[in-house]
Amino acid sequence: MLERLKSKGSYPIIFLTLIVLISVSLLLYINTFTSEIVEDQNQAKIKGALEQIFPELTRFEENEGISIIYKGDSIVGYTFETSRNGYSGAIDILVGINKDYTIRDVAILSHTETPGLGSRITEEKFTGQFISLDSGNIALSKDGGKIDAITGATISSRAVTEAIQEKMIEIIEKLSN
Amino acid sequence: MEEKENKKKYDIRQSAGSIFWKEFIKGLVISNPVFILTLGLCPVLAVTNSIDNALGMGAGVIFVLLCSNILISAIRRTIPALIRIPVFIVIIATFVTILSLVFEAYIPPLHESLGIYLSLIVVNCIILGRAEIFASKNSVLFSIADALGIGFGFTIALIIISLLREILGTGGLAVFGFNLFSIPVLSEHPMTFFISPPGAFLIIGLLMALFKWIGVIKGE
Amino acid sequence: MNNLFTIFIVTAIVNNIVLSKFLGLCPFFGVSKKLSNAVSMGMAVTLVMFISSIATSVIYNYLLVPFNVEFMQIVLYILVIASLVQIVELIIKRTNIALYNSLGIFLPLITTNCAVLGITLINSAEGYTLLESIVSALGGGIGFTLVLIIMSGIREKLELAQTPVSMKGLPIAFITAALLALAFMGFNGMM
Repeated sequence: MLERLKSKGSYPIIFLTLIVLISVSLLLYINTFTSEIVEDQNQAKIKGALEQIFPELTRFEENEGISIIYKGDSIVGYTFETSRNGYSGAIDILVGINKDYTIRDVAILSHTETPGLGSRITEEKFTGQFISLDSGNIALSKDGGKIDAITGATISSRAVTEAIQEKMIEIIEKLSN
Repeated sequence: MEEKENKKKYDIRQSAGSIFWKEFIKGLVISNPVFILTLGLCPVLAVTNSIDNALGMGAGVIFVLLCSNILISAIRRTIPALIRIPVFIVIIATFVTILSLVFEAYIPPLHESLGIYLSLIVVNCIILGRAEIFASKNSVLFSIADALGIGFGFTIALIIISLLREILGTGGLAVFGFNLFSIPVLSEHPMTFFISPPGAFLIIGLLMALFKWIGVIKGE
Repeated sequence: MNNLFTIFIVTAIVNNIVLSKFLGLCPFFGVSKKLSNAVSMGMAVTLVMFISSIATSVIYNYLLVPFNVEFMQIVLYILVIASLVQIVELIIKRTNIALYNSLGIFLPLITTNCAVLGITLINSAEGYTLLESIVSALGGGIGFTLVLIIMSGIREKLELAQTPVSMKGLPIAFITAALLALAFMGFNGMM
């Protein structure tokens, strides 16, 4: 029976179409499970990152890209995200600022920098440098600012620094209005 | 390759078990995909910058190779010869997508650091090659042996290269967050050259020369 | 990394797809022994990259994203590329049989060239518009051709040099690639 089927001219097309249909259905099916899990993970990641910067956070509100951080009824600060291409791809950064617009803390959300080099932007040794700086002097020391770049990872360091500097000015503008 | 095919005919009297073992060893050593056949190189250089990536990629390739070999071998008699390459490609691409979705949900850091190289498993010459050369012409059992042999051969090659690159390049070894060890002087001043692209080419070139040298001594 | 010129220079040189992203290595080491082959191969790959980047960008932005099925990328893109390569192969066969013969088996192998699929995946991952995707693909193709030409020039000379037996062939080619990659690393920080 198989031989008769195979000799029909349309068999190849039907076979290929069938395989593609099975593939698409299978993938759609699996995706329904995994996309939920991925979505949950993203939410948890964001909340975790916010709590890292403002451990006293009780709730937060999102408004035009700025998250307003509350402790009880009073505002304790704001967070915003920014992104920039580093050495090998986008670096996503979360910045928390106090009510006086100085930096509370910085957290690197994701990156694909070189392990052992650019990946060290996630270390406290690097991100800690941003704490309590105001928008005026966020630059690498080799560019006249206060941030020491990571040895051998100037591009990654500069990307983070410049991203924060630029976005911060924009956000403070927005907040003042 | 042809000599090994002929050899197999004389082994008819031997049990299926020993043929299984033979195919497995073949993929592992004699036809090691990376060092001897030099197939599927693209991801090798990219993911050997850390042992985590290497293990993740190795596991991924074994999974896809195994699944596609089994499926293709199982339906090999129904596939029309004319469209066999597109069919193989769709099957392999499906398994790679499944792998990517599963990694994204259950091992996000690995999914992130492997990036596009995870998806690029679909054009890894090894998998398509084995489908065409072996799985489409042999039984499911032997296709499994072939997949495991080649898959583990590939993974071992990845492990060797990434061990060298990570130890020399960062002065220590860390597997999935666990710091295994740190070499005293080296970890303060690691040879980061080996983590970078030129270092990758260099290590593999030297390893290939080493394998060739060993082969020369064996009189091959 | 927004403006088009930056994208072009980055994919062609700074993050050269062969020496920095490790894509397209099989043809890089396989074809590059003769200069004329290198040029033909590079052009063929650039052409396929150009067309497939258009097709995949359209598929991504107008089909996959609206319906939230981005994960179908892998299956769809590779099918598009495979079909394109078939078509290009047929066209070359009809118009320039000499070219067809000199490219030989490497033409269908463009389908499994990590570089072609790689560029389309990068375009989607970076969220490029149609125009940005095209520029990125052209940059990738030209960068690939450039490196292929350099490599074949060096390898032609290497054939005449005295290399130790175990280094002959691929090992020395890899070492050469290492030096090339090192040179290209000098472009980092340009942007």
